[in-house]
Amino acid sequence: MEFEILPGRTLKNLTAEKLIMDNVQRISQVYIEAPWRKQLQYVGLFLLGVVLIAMVAFFYINVTARAAAIGRSIQLMQSEIEVIRRDIVDLETEMAELTSYSMMVDRAGDLGFYQVDPDEVIYLQVPGYPGRQPVSLGSSKAPPLPSVSSLSPDYTQSLFEWLRERVFNPAAPLLEIEP
Amino acid sequence: MTKEYSWRYITLGLIFTALAAFIVLQMIRIQLSPQAKYFRDRGNAVSGYWKTFSPARGSIYDRNGHLMAGNKTVYEVGVDLTNPARNPTTIAMAANAVLGLDYDYVFGLVSQVSSDKGIYRMIADFVTEEQKERLDELNDQMSIAYANSDDPDRPSLEGLQFRPHLQRSYPEGRLAANLIGFVNREGRGFFGIEEQYNDLLAGEPQIMWVPSDPNRVEEFPNIPPGASLVLTIDRTIQSEMEAILDDALNDTGAESGTIAIMDPNTGEIIAMATTPRIDLNEYWRYGEVFVDPQMTYNNAISKSYESGSVFKVLTMSAAVDNKSVAPDTMFLDTGAFEIGGTVIRNWNGGAWGYQDMVGCIKHSLNVCLAWVAAELGTGQFYKYMQAFGIGSLTGIELAGEVPGRLKQPGDNDWYEAELGTNSFGQGVSVTPVQMLMAVSALANEGKMMTPRIVLSMKKDGREYRTQSQVAGMPISAETARVMSNMLAITVEVESYSNAVVEGYRIAGKTGTGEIPTPFGYTSNVTNASFVGWGPVDDPQFIVYVWLEKPMTSIWGSEVAAPVFREVVEHLVVLMNIPPDNIRMQLKNSN
Repeated sequence: MEFEILPGRTLKNLTAEKLIMDNVQRISQVYIEAPWRKQLQYVGLFLLGVVLIAMVAFFYINVTARAAAIGRSIQLMQSEIEVIRRDIVDLETEMAELTSYSMMVDRAGDLGFYQVDPDEVIYLQVPGYPGRQPVSLGSSKAPPLPSVSSLSPDYTQSLFEWLRERVFNPAAPLLEIEP
Repeated sequence: MTKEYSWRYITLGLIFTALAAFIVLQMIRIQLSPQAKYFRDRGNAVSGYWKTFSPARGSIYDRNGHLMAGNKTVYEVGVDLTNPARNPTTIAMAANAVLGLDYDYVFGLVSQVSSDKGIYRMIADFVTEEQKERLDELNDQMSIAYANSDDPDRPSLEGLQFRPHLQRSYPEGRLAANLIGFVNREGRGFFGIEEQYNDLLAGEPQIMWVPSDPNRVEEFPNIPPGASLVLTIDRTIQSEMEAILDDALNDTGAESGTIAIMDPNTGEIIAMATTPRIDLNEYWRYGEVFVDPQMTYNNAISKSYESGSVFKVLTMSAAVDNKSVAPDTMFLDTGAFEIGGTVIRNWNGGAWGYQDMVGCIKHSLNVCLAWVAAELGTGQFYKYMQAFGIGSLTGIELAGEVPGRLKQPGDNDWYEAELGTNSFGQGVSVTPVQMLMAVSALANEGKMMTPRIVLSMKKDGREYRTQSQVAGMPISAETARVMSNMLAITVEVESYSNAVVEGYRIAGKTGTGEIPTPFGYTSNVTNASFVGWGPVDDPQFIVYVWLEKPMTSIWGSEVAAPVFREVVEHLVVLMNIPPDNIRMQLKNSN
């Protein structure tokens, strides 16, 4: 005779269910506590750590290497600027030597020119001509350079400075897109 | 993991932890140890170097933009003592042959062993581009010739290093040397413009740490070059004046000479030629040229002298302006005038009878001028002389200007007789540039202009123009016109014909100054001078000529006046000043 302990469920049914649950629980327990599972967890965690470190190292080395290469380029360019500036100065002086008064007089003499006799001078009035004016050195020159650094922060800030900027200034775009 | 193996892992872990802790502690210990500074210094020594960024020294141009002083690259030559392939014998021989250095000296330097105290030795500086190229050529030739040699002692210039830097250069050599000055190898300016504006021209050098690590690279400072200056001089006129002066010295046997030209309207110095001069590119020969310590670098500003009768121009101007005399005031010249117990006599010792003031100036009568000064009065005379700037610096922007000497009542060495002698330029010392400034009042409607040599300055890309400055108005415009006319007449008369320039009306006055010595004034050696300006109706130049101790004649009218004429003949062409008749025609046609 079957007694209904709960509506629609007999003692036999309940016992069977319990047995099944016990089996599932035991299998789960066995699975969870399996040594290979634990080892896998440790290995997984270790590998995760390794991957994270590798990623940071990769980014750091990548950025550092690029910064070093660019830094070296800057050093070379700075040297080139110095050389060019010296070349400009040398050429100016060389040109001045080639057009010095004594050289020009000699060349004029070689070309058949001679110093004019006052009696030979003919004066002409040229309306609007103000005569020879003193030289002006400043008019065609560029305005003075601003004193701020012209190097982009990309070339000067470290990875940590960049991260700090991003953390404390989240509104800054991650990618600068030139229009 | 069984318990029997766990202790092994724990032990390993402890060992690694202890090792890490030991390393950290050791690092901390080293950081705090007394040797830490040594290690830091060693590290810093190779982590970079201090570099001085010296701005290029500013250039100097003439008024038309011709470079008078610039820069050029030279090299410091040194040897890298850490280079094991360097050959001291070869380097010493090359340095001896190309640079002219002592073989033993260079050999000793190059043979040194690198140490904490040095890994580099300089063997020469200011090596020219040509010398460097010669050394490079030698190096290339040796590299090719001994390319396959394994001999460690093979001839080689390896280890030789060149460090470029700038050096002052003067493309015009001796031209305008006395007013430009020069810069020594330490970068300091001496004399003239170079000394006066040394700080401005040199700029401000900056010292910066340059890291060797490219990761720590920093932008080099943008150091602007020193300010550049545009002078008022015209190199063509300057060169012509120097040539005329050199010829004059040859012709007259004068010890030294000065020709200075000023625009009376602006005070701009158009040319300033003096002797002796040096080649500025070989300034170290200064001592060979200026052998006597009494010699000055620029006589026009640094040497005062008793100018003699050119000073009468100022005395007469003061008296006319003060209305003590007028051009037609008559004076009876008896050949002697007593003042302060001293008897003043004329240059020829003669008596010239009745003379008006034009005659007094025309014949340069000392007696008359002493009387004029007496009529003017002591107080007024010295007041006017002070107003003319006598005894004071003119303020021209050149280093080494001296004020001359104007003894005045109240000074211990002033006596009443000084009034008489000062009236004709004796007992009062002036510089040529002082006389230019004083006379500019006569040529410029009474306005005395401060002489200036700098027309403009360029700094940081901007140009700054200097302004003409009126130093004072010692006389009225009317007096200036009267005096110009009087002095034009004096040039036109026969005794001054040496100064007449055909086609141009010129005002001027000669001067023959005796030279004071401890035993009195000399009569056989003099200072011959001439001051003149023109054209009289529209003065565009004042010319001052001074020949010191001419040998062919002691008289200014005979040695200085012809030089003045030659100067003006060149000047009117170079300054595009037509003869008076043509100028009037052009003026009337407008």
